[in-house]
Amino acid sequence: MASPGGQGAGALSTRGGSAARRMKWALELSLGNTRSRSERQGGQGDVIYPIGYSEKPVPDTSIQETDKNLVEKRCWDVALGPLKQIPMNLFIMYMSGNTISIFPIMMVCMMAWRPIQALMSMSATFKLLESSSQQWLQGLVYLIGNLLGSALAIYKCQSMGLLPTHSSDWLAFIEPPQRMEIMGGGMVL
Amino acid sequence: KLALIINDLIARTFPCRSNRRQQYVGKVRFSHFDTHLQSSKKVLLATEKNVFAALNTRTGELFWRHVDRTGPEGNIDALLLHGQDAVLVIGNGRLLRSWEINVGGLNWEIVLDSGSFQSACLVGYQGTVKHVAVLKKASISLHYLSNGHQKWVENLPESETVDYQAVYSGGNGDVYALGVVPHSHITVVSYNVEDGEINKQVILIFHLIAKEMLACVDSSTASLYMLDLHVQSQMTQIPLQSLGLEVDPGFQPALVSTQPNPARPPLSEFFLQLGPEQHLLLQLNNGQIVVLRDFKPAILVSFATTGEKTVVAVMSPKNKTACSVNLFSAESGRRLLDTTLIFNMDPNGGKPEKLYVQTFLKKDDSVGYRVMVQTEDQTLTLIQQPGRVMWTREEALSDVVTMEMVDLPLTGTQAELEGEFGKKADGLMSMVLKRLSSQLILLQAWISHLWKLFYDARKPRSLVKNDVTIENLSRDEFNLQKMMIMVTASGKLFGIDSKTGSILWKHYLDNIPSNAAFKLMVQRTTAHFPHPPQCTLLIKDKDTGLATLHVFNPIFGKKSHITPPTLPQPILQSLILPLMDQDYAKVLLLIDDQYKVSAFPSTKNVLQQLQEMASSIFFYLVDSSQGRLCGYRLRTDLSTELIWEVIIPTEVQRIVSVKGKRPNEHVHSQGRVMGDRSVLYKYLNPNLLAVVTESTDLHQERSFIGILLIDGVTGRIFHEAVQRKARGPVHVVHSENWVVYEYWSTKSRRNEFSVIELYEGMELYNSSVFSSLDRPHAPQVLQQSYIFPSSISTMEATLTEKGITSRHLLIGLPSGGILSLPKMFLDPRRPEIVSEQSREENLIPYSPELLIRTEWFINYNQTVSRVRGIYTAPSGLESTCLVVAYGLDIYQTRVYPSKQFDVLKDDYDYMLISSVLFALFFATMISKRLAEVKLLNRAWR
Repeated sequence: MASPGGQGAGALSTRGGSAARRMKWALELSLGNTRSRSERQGGQGDVIYPIGYSEKPVPDTSIQETDKNLVEKRCWDVALGPLKQIPMNLFIMYMSGNTISIFPIMMVCMMAWRPIQALMSMSATFKLLESSSQQWLQGLVYLIGNLLGSALAIYKCQSMGLLPTHSSDWLAFIEPPQRMEIMGGGMVL
Repeated sequence: KLALIINDLIARTFPCRSNRRQQYVGKVRFSHFDTHLQSSKKVLLATEKNVFAALNTRTGELFWRHVDRTGPEGNIDALLLHGQDAVLVIGNGRLLRSWEINVGGLNWEIVLDSGSFQSACLVGYQGTVKHVAVLKKASISLHYLSNGHQKWVENLPESETVDYQAVYSGGNGDVYALGVVPHSHITVVSYNVEDGEINKQVILIFHLIAKEMLACVDSSTASLYMLDLHVQSQMTQIPLQSLGLEVDPGFQPALVSTQPNPARPPLSEFFLQLGPEQHLLLQLNNGQIVVLRDFKPAILVSFATTGEKTVVAVMSPKNKTACSVNLFSAESGRRLLDTTLIFNMDPNGGKPEKLYVQTFLKKDDSVGYRVMVQTEDQTLTLIQQPGRVMWTREEALSDVVTMEMVDLPLTGTQAELEGEFGKKADGLMSMVLKRLSSQLILLQAWISHLWKLFYDARKPRSLVKNDVTIENLSRDEFNLQKMMIMVTASGKLFGIDSKTGSILWKHYLDNIPSNAAFKLMVQRTTAHFPHPPQCTLLIKDKDTGLATLHVFNPIFGKKSHITPPTLPQPILQSLILPLMDQDYAKVLLLIDDQYKVSAFPSTKNVLQQLQEMASSIFFYLVDSSQGRLCGYRLRTDLSTELIWEVIIPTEVQRIVSVKGKRPNEHVHSQGRVMGDRSVLYKYLNPNLLAVVTESTDLHQERSFIGILLIDGVTGRIFHEAVQRKARGPVHVVHSENWVVYEYWSTKSRRNEFSVIELYEGMELYNSSVFSSLDRPHAPQVLQQSYIFPSSISTMEATLTEKGITSRHLLIGLPSGGILSLPKMFLDPRRPEIVSEQSREENLIPYSPELLIRTEWFINYNQTVSRVRGIYTAPSGLESTCLVVAYGLDIYQTRVYPSKQFDVLKDDYDYMLISSVLFALFFATMISKRLAEVKLLNRAWR
């Protein structure tokens, strides 16, 4: 769904790749970390300017060392995201307790679902990290973080008794044994 | 409209609470019609079951009923009716009771002096009846009819040698006691009513009365003896030959006389029975005997009086299936016009045995009457002229010995066709055709059934007829309606519909010995369609040991065309095998006293199967008279070998009962989940037997009861418990992995329950097969005991289709209640100290007392008298168990031990749910459409 504000810039090519995930569209001329929303507003307000004109001075487009650092930093943020959530999860786990009721179940589901979802979209995250030099390390950290998250969820399930790990959980599937002898009789009539 | 119909259909399929009680009285010993009012509708019955009851003569229903103690203590010795008072002598002359017959209230009760009862009669004097005389072995006493107080009591002269047999009063102020000294003489003692003084004492000869005269008949001399009580002359002997009469050889002649009013002398007419089918009406006229009429053939005769008229009713056989009853005037012996009554005998019933006549004066002063006939099969029938049966009561059902429940066939048409397809077909093609056609018939019947259901659903519920006949018998959706087959001690079999309680068929077996043992087995159920279901009743005469088999169709009660084998040898036990012959009949093994086995049916196929299976067929026999428990194994040649034997010395204790498990019992859960979520596996040995013994020494300090858990295949004893200072009767239930028994503790003077549970442990030895021969580990035994506040009559456990539902114990109490006690309360794992784990397991903390909660009574206020047995059967619904309690009454109900978890509640709001569903469905449709329109509009903008 194209937003009405974006129609004017519809002709402009959008940046592909990782940027597309966070910004619906962006002017090619306004590079850098500015938020698309502010640009959109700017674009709407300044229709009188010719295409390609910017009020701000055009920044130096040559890649600088600081930008690279920023990218690295951003990529580490992404990679460390799941790990940072673990203390929070631990806290929620502690608070929700081991009773089986709707809220703890919902919490556990959320806790289990988020890492799984993240692991499913690993390839997308890798693309995000493409620009980083420590791409593999960050990917590994991200993976470990998510695995830890799901392990935590499983642990929670275990402590809530939701995992079929006991023999009693399989009791219903035991068939009654077949009897080998036929026996009958009774008191002498 | 459609929704309504669907709703109605659904509502119809859900079981409503149904429980039914039928009350019986037993075999009639004394019966009197209430005559003090012309319009009275009562007939009073005193029965051999120690029941005194009043029936409505119009409907046959009970007005009231009083159930006394069982056994000789409550035995009704005499019933005397005077006006509104009925006087009963109970318990061999222990009690004298007077009942008010209108409401059945007790007027008074007094305890009589000890002594064995001989006879009783009402004593009238000066036209009114005010006293009742009771003759005992050594004394005679006179009591006031109004309050029971004793007027006088006198010792009988020479009571050691004289056997006093009868007491008589002629309304003239004298009471006569008649005594006999065998082979010597008769003593007649006459007492004054006022003070009990002996007026006269006559020593002469023998028994029965006709107009101030003693008449007796002697078979050895074939003479009639007469004695005038006033003149005390010599006995007059009238040889029967002089009257032109002949006594049937081997028949003991008998006299029947009548005394319409105790305050007046008896009639001068009396009956003399000379043979089983010959009765004579005689008249005593100035000391001369006149034969008024000779009734031949006449099975039964009876006097009846209304107003001033006395008539005799004579029943004579008409043809094989009917008897006719006629009235004759007692004075003249003339037949009264238009008084013929036809009694049609049930071909599946017995012969008439007793005749009771109720007479009344019609408007034109002629005599009208009704007769109540009791037949050999204990059926009471009241018949009105000219033969209309007003009601029938099957009193044989007051003594049910054993019963079974059989599924009904799918439809009535199917059942009808069974006979046609019952014959064996050979060849593949014909078999296929047979199968196809039977399936087609089934389909057709099913469709018509559905159609009927749909059609009925549109009618108001009150209009739908619910009467069940054999033709429209069919299984309901949840198999809640079954056929109850009841075997009674009199040898009459009944097929009763469990839903309505109506008797669908009955069959009287002749020549059943009085002490027969019965065993009823279902050989083929209704599941094997073209073949009719088949039940076999084993009847064993305990005296001779010989047994007979009665094979019948449990749905129709018809005797099967299969001829059962004749059993020349005494039979010890029978055993029904899960093996089937080619006609899907389970094989019945009969063990004779030579320990040889015969099979029924015994076709080649069966014998071959038996040979293959022989090594795994075991049986056990328990001989309580010798204290022997033996286990046998079948050999291929159908002989047996003894493999184990346990002797319980009979001097010390005797075996009271042996309980195995029910063969149709399913156990869903193989173990119990502990608090730490591990599993304690149950020890589910299908061959386990619980043997209960009682000590022969009944002294309260030394008496004990024992329980023995023994494997029926190997004879291995798993557990032995002895309860000291305890006494029977012990009631046992053995099911799953537990045994519950109840006994009387003489030490604490209370009833106690004890439960034994067996567990295999935390590991299963072999989860796929169970063989008693390969179970090296003995089970763990847990036991706990509880105090129960009441004694019990019988006990049984509920049974459901898959065994998922929790179990309850059904306990018949002597008070007439049936208690449904959750097994949860009888659990040896109930902890004394509550822990986290036991709480997790939902174990109730141990408390020694088991309380009777009133909401546990499953029969509410419908008291079931003298419950002797409870039968449980699974239904098609897992939550529901069918229960039949039998004893003097029969009570049928359903129990839901875990509530009705698989049935929607009665008040389930189908309307609301379905309307909400429909509303949501339409809302989704509409909103989807609206969303589409909106999107389109937005795209155009």
